[in-house]
Amino acid sequence: MRFVLSVAFILLAACSRSGANKTLTIAVNAGVEGSALKTAAHEWGELRNTRIEVIELPYANLFEKESLDLQSRTGAYDVIMLDDPWFPKLVADSGLTPLPRSPDADFLASTLAVCRDAGNFYALPYVGNSQLFFYRKDLFEKYKLSPPDRWQKVLEAARTIGAGEKMYGYVMRAAPGNSAVADFMPLLWAFGGDIFDAQGKPSLGSPEALDALRFMLELGKVSPPGYAGFNADEVSAHLLQGTAAMSINWPAWIAAMDDPLKSKISGKIEFAQMPSARLPGVAELGSWLLAVPAASPHRDAAFDFIYWATDAPQLTEAALRGNPPTRRSVFLSPDLQKKFRAFPAQLAALEGARPRPRTKQWNEIENAFGVALSQANSGAITPEAAMQQANEEINAIVERSK
Amino acid sequence: MLVLAALSIYPLLYLVKVSLTGAHGFTLAHYARLFQDRLFTVAAAQTLLYALAALTLEFFLGLALALLVDSLAHGRALVRVSLLAPMLLPPVVAAVIWRLIYNPEFGVLNGMLRQFGFHTANLTWASGRTSAMLSVILVDVWQWTPFMFLLLTAGLQAIPSEPLEAARVDGAGYCRTLRDVILPLLKPTILLALLLRSMDLLRIFDQIFILTQGGPGSATETVSLYIYRTAFRFSNFGYAAAMSFVGLVITTLAARSLMRLMSRES
Repeated sequence: MRFVLSVAFILLAACSRSGANKTLTIAVNAGVEGSALKTAAHEWGELRNTRIEVIELPYANLFEKESLDLQSRTGAYDVIMLDDPWFPKLVADSGLTPLPRSPDADFLASTLAVCRDAGNFYALPYVGNSQLFFYRKDLFEKYKLSPPDRWQKVLEAARTIGAGEKMYGYVMRAAPGNSAVADFMPLLWAFGGDIFDAQGKPSLGSPEALDALRFMLELGKVSPPGYAGFNADEVSAHLLQGTAAMSINWPAWIAAMDDPLKSKISGKIEFAQMPSARLPGVAELGSWLLAVPAASPHRDAAFDFIYWATDAPQLTEAALRGNPPTRRSVFLSPDLQKKFRAFPAQLAALEGARPRPRTKQWNEIENAFGVALSQANSGAITPEAAMQQANEEINAIVERSK
Repeated sequence: MLVLAALSIYPLLYLVKVSLTGAHGFTLAHYARLFQDRLFTVAAAQTLLYALAALTLEFFLGLALALLVDSLAHGRALVRVSLLAPMLLPPVVAAVIWRLIYNPEFGVLNGMLRQFGFHTANLTWASGRTSAMLSVILVDVWQWTPFMFLLLTAGLQAIPSEPLEAARVDGAGYCRTLRDVILPLLKPTILLALLLRSMDLLRIFDQIFILTQGGPGSATETVSLYIYRTAFRFSNFGYAAAMSFVGLVITTLAARSLMRLMSRES
């Protein structure tokens, strides 16, 4: 009898607890972007007397978990953090809830543009990520080199530094998939090429695209051997250890560059805009967004949280925790500008940043394109064959999706 | 029977159903695509190469170690435990360790080679087009040779002493005893070890996912990696199911032939 009463008491307590205090489940990226959101979520939970469960997943698994949950409408997550190229796929699956009110005008236009589909907003921009060009200012001064504002200057500076120092002039990542494509897109755009033409047909067979890849291979000659298998961590390790002088990189690594505990080149790196070639340089956008799945059992609370987390005071806190903001007012805050010397460069890059093609097949396209780029960089196939292969495979992906 | 139906028959039938379903109902398009898909052909060929190379190396190394340890007069237990250590690590942990070891600039492998005066500028290991496959095979050999060793050691210990003594009395040397007595008696264990390892090798995923993600280019792409990407990154479950079913058929045929050999031996 005592046993039965004990079980009944425990069940009663559990029921009353769940009724009085709901749990908001949030899926975040395991990394600096996610850890800032995790801290914010716990603060919001205390303010609203709501229990918070944060599920941290590595980048590669986050999309899979979110996509599966949204497709099967399990309602496992109330809030999801998503990389902006995933947005078209998740919206196309009708997995996201439209925002109850439009975001305000303080958000940067480039970060808002990737939150909208057919006139409706489905997400709020949380992390204002776009590529920057990292270079060793001390070495540029030593060799009297002008700032790397054109790709040709980058190549020449890399050769000069590589010849004069015991280091590589440049480092890039060309592992298949996201890595190779992310480092190639600024080159492709600067050389006047693109993945799709104005009619939406794959256009990697263009002379501009081929020239961009040939130039990438020239950069490969001044990069560390094996760069065709590199990802972001190898590139940043080369910069931090002072074994490479320049690279395209993301704002998440800025803090580490200036941290003497992690970096041998603290204070020596300068952050600039993407170099230009035939066209002005453009950075790739890589914003992190917050959205509410259609099957979320706590939609009102979830929306309350994402509006709160992307408001100016919270984005200021997030900036102090290492996340680049998505609001102009936060970027222009004098206190933050004093603290983060790269903010002016980050704001300029973010304002002009370009998203990856807005298609729900992006993951498959990026994979096919990335394999071809990586093969060309590893010497397995010629640049001509790589671009032809990528163009054909992207065309097949587009045709299959019709 | 109910458990078998729930755990094996239903998932298999469901897999076949998904592989035959397209956006507009029944389709054979996923199977037709298999024959035109360059990456699937590359992945299938590389999976076979990986499995054959790793299986051969693991078997001969495992057998050599088992014979060596079996012949030791003292300290057998200690050597056996030390040799098993790599196998006890989760494959993901082993892959992360080797990713650090293989780093061309900062890795311990090139660092040690440089200490001995070797020029390592072009030793790119898992990042190199030609060296990547060898690098991932070596990680598998490092981690799973102990498994071969363990099974073959158990087999050696189960061999009765009488035939060995008889061979010795008849004046047979070690090589002759190994060829004519030990290996024939060890054959059922060898076949079992080859069966278990080959099934595992044909579905290799975790080490390659961590070490190279199938790159550089498609130099280390395997069928499992491609299936995973197709299903969970590209959300194309029909095509992933078709590839899985073909993979299952190939693995089953390979396993069946080894099992037939085993039953003939027993």
